[in-house]
Amino acid sequence: MPPAAATNLAHKPPDGGWGWAVVVAAFISIGFSYAFPKSLTIYFKEIQEYFSVSYSEIAWLSSVMLASMYAGGPVSSILVNRYGSRPVVMLGGLMVSAAMVLSSFGTTIIHLYLCVGVIGGFGLAFNLQPALTIIGTYFQAKRPLANGLAMTGSPVFLSILAPLNQFLFDSYGWRGSFLILGSIVLNCCVAGALMRPVHKQVASKPSSPLPKFNKAVDEGAAADASMQTADSDPEERRHEGKGPSQASKLADFSLFKHRGFLIYLTGNVVMFFGFFAPVVFLAPYAKHQGIDEYSAAFLLTIFALVDMFIRPFTGFLGNTRRIRPKIQYFFSFAVSYNGICHLLFPLASGYSGLVVYAVFFGVGFGMVSALLFEVLMDLVGAPRFSSALGLVTIIECGPVLLGPPMLGALVDTFGEYKYLYVTCGVLMLAPGLFFFIMHYFNYKKLKEEQKPEAAVETRRPGETVELKTNDEASK
Amino acid sequence: MRPDGITNTEMSHDVTVKPDGGRAGARSCAAAAERSARRSRGRRMKTMPASWKLLLLPTLLLMTSCGRTDTKTLDPTQTPPASVPPLADLKREVVLKSENVTENIELRQLVRLFLECSLTADQNKLPNMTAFWSRDGQEIPDSRLTVALEKEQYGIQRLFNITSEEKVGTYSCVFENKVRADFVLATPRFREKRDKPVVSYVHDFVVLPCKMEGSENESLTWLWFKGNETHKERISAQPDRFEIRSQNLTSRLKLINLTFADAGFYYCAAVYAVGSTMNPIKLKVITFWEPLKPFIAILIAVVLLVVVIFLCEKQQSKKKVTEGNEENVDQNNIKLQEEEKGAEEGSSMRHRKV
Repeated sequence: MPPAAATNLAHKPPDGGWGWAVVVAAFISIGFSYAFPKSLTIYFKEIQEYFSVSYSEIAWLSSVMLASMYAGGPVSSILVNRYGSRPVVMLGGLMVSAAMVLSSFGTTIIHLYLCVGVIGGFGLAFNLQPALTIIGTYFQAKRPLANGLAMTGSPVFLSILAPLNQFLFDSYGWRGSFLILGSIVLNCCVAGALMRPVHKQVASKPSSPLPKFNKAVDEGAAADASMQTADSDPEERRHEGKGPSQASKLADFSLFKHRGFLIYLTGNVVMFFGFFAPVVFLAPYAKHQGIDEYSAAFLLTIFALVDMFIRPFTGFLGNTRRIRPKIQYFFSFAVSYNGICHLLFPLASGYSGLVVYAVFFGVGFGMVSALLFEVLMDLVGAPRFSSALGLVTIIECGPVLLGPPMLGALVDTFGEYKYLYVTCGVLMLAPGLFFFIMHYFNYKKLKEEQKPEAAVETRRPGETVELKTNDEASK
Repeated sequence: MRPDGITNTEMSHDVTVKPDGGRAGARSCAAAAERSARRSRGRRMKTMPASWKLLLLPTLLLMTSCGRTDTKTLDPTQTPPASVPPLADLKREVVLKSENVTENIELRQLVRLFLECSLTADQNKLPNMTAFWSRDGQEIPDSRLTVALEKEQYGIQRLFNITSEEKVGTYSCVFENKVRADFVLATPRFREKRDKPVVSYVHDFVVLPCKMEGSENESLTWLWFKGNETHKERISAQPDRFEIRSQNLTSRLKLINLTFADAGFYYCAAVYAVGSTMNPIKLKVITFWEPLKPFIAILIAVVLLVVVIFLCEKQQSKKKVTEGNEENVDQNNIKLQEEEKGAEEGSSMRHRKV
């Protein structure tokens, strides 16, 4: 049974201890990154009146922010590769804070686009990437659980930020609220302060990514060599020879030759077209069915609550002995489940049908979100995760931004929402099945690639024994 | 002669000023009254002796054009005079059983309101039933009728000409067994009611919007007021303080260069021929110091947290360093001992060799 992907790190991930503080830090950073743009929509109506702009112009603010967040991905991953997570997160926090404070003095809508949209978006990108990366350095055995817990930040923060923003708006208007949000967002710097670089944990031992065969030699001598199980990523090993240069490489385009990465990327690009749209259109669809505003909003609350609890649970499940080695199948199942959920939705009728859908969709959305980055880590390994994440976010930028408007156009042309949900269902089910099939082959190939290497390893200790005896004889 | 000449032009003016369509009726009447009052005042100052005559004629004309006597609305058989333009027709029917019914009617224009009440007969099935119409709780004289049972129902109907704002009220049909139907006439209500105040800052500007539901091509007149429940003051556009922008179904009041005195309640009124609806908006004006206080508080909290975390980290790493030093010292000692041993051996070997 092919074991979980190795970290190929030179140190032993603590899998606990300060790691849990890092999970809290990642929870905060991820929470702000995902929930902050969504919660700003509360101010849109008043800002629209204030600057006398149309609704689409104010909606652009959200899009610019989201686009900057995704475009900032590669920049963020380069910085993390060079400087580590902590400085980047603190810089990100300062950037978003400055952006909000500057925008509170804004005089035109362009001012807001630049401050909140561009600078704010970049700042949030500088929070998201490092938070995910540092989990990979701190956790190996409990990584799915850590990822699941960290990703729970998104729904939790949204539930906190939405009413908080409403309160701030009622008390201070939009300018004062932006100012205060600027200080609240500085808590990202607190999160950054918690993200202690993991090398500091490993006190005085040398930490360079030595090639594998050297490690085997040291195995007898040094007791703290990484607890490497067989690598499920033989391509990694071949590149290992380049060791340090790989880690310091700024943009890792060699990832495009990585089989697992390509599978992930292809599936995700299709999936993201239909991933967020059902959330966006849930309330409008409910109102279209004749349900009043408060009940429609309550659907979203149900969805968020279910999402909140499913994410850590999924992380926990992903960590179990049976699922961890086959976590790619778990992810494929989650994606397909989403697809089936959307396909069956048009059959639901009445408010109770909507509630049932909200619950099931919440489960699906939470599962996919919790596993989204865990499976990428599993495929490419922790050292290359940062670069991989950068590439993934900038390529996913397109589907995420284009998805909801395109599907919205679908609703406008047909006048009915059921086509939207059928399309989303197909857009999720197809990648899900794609993942199942491709990962079946991928696992098979990985198994084959590991067999000759395992044989090589069994030979190595014998060689070293010969070497040693030779040495002693020469003495 | 000059006075007559003036009177003639006055007359012609008044004729053109007659209500030109149900919607503009109330407004133009008020405007006409204002204008003629001004003119009359002016004339009074110029030609003192003939002033009474000159005052009387326009006033009489205005009375006949503006004020229609109440009897017209209460008498369905008399046709309205030809000078009044056709009103829209609105019909409402209510079927009563044993409970009172209230029906809300939203009026956007002057109408001919045709109301019909049908009472379903109970077990008694009396052959006749008396009923009357009332307005705002008071019985309309000469409206009491005896209704015969027809197809299990007692039916009563009446036509009301809602031709001005005064006619708007609650009309009811009341049957002798105390079952009634109330038709509440009202101008359209604002759907979005904002109960929280709009907050803005000194020296900043603020835009207060008002939106009314209605059809696309409907064009409303908007008025803005400042004040409270009892006393309201009309706001007119002043270049450096207020700016009113009204367009069909929405109206926006922009207050520029706010001061503390600008805080309070503002009312936007959508004016229809049958009356107007008001929507209150509360404005709160604060200085930038207000949000600055929590901002600084949170900033200090964050800085403290970061400093504490870094200090803890330094302490922990110092501990590790001292532990590491001790380990190193131990290792060094071991090495030294080994070296000494080796040196001794070496020296002994050398001795041996020697």
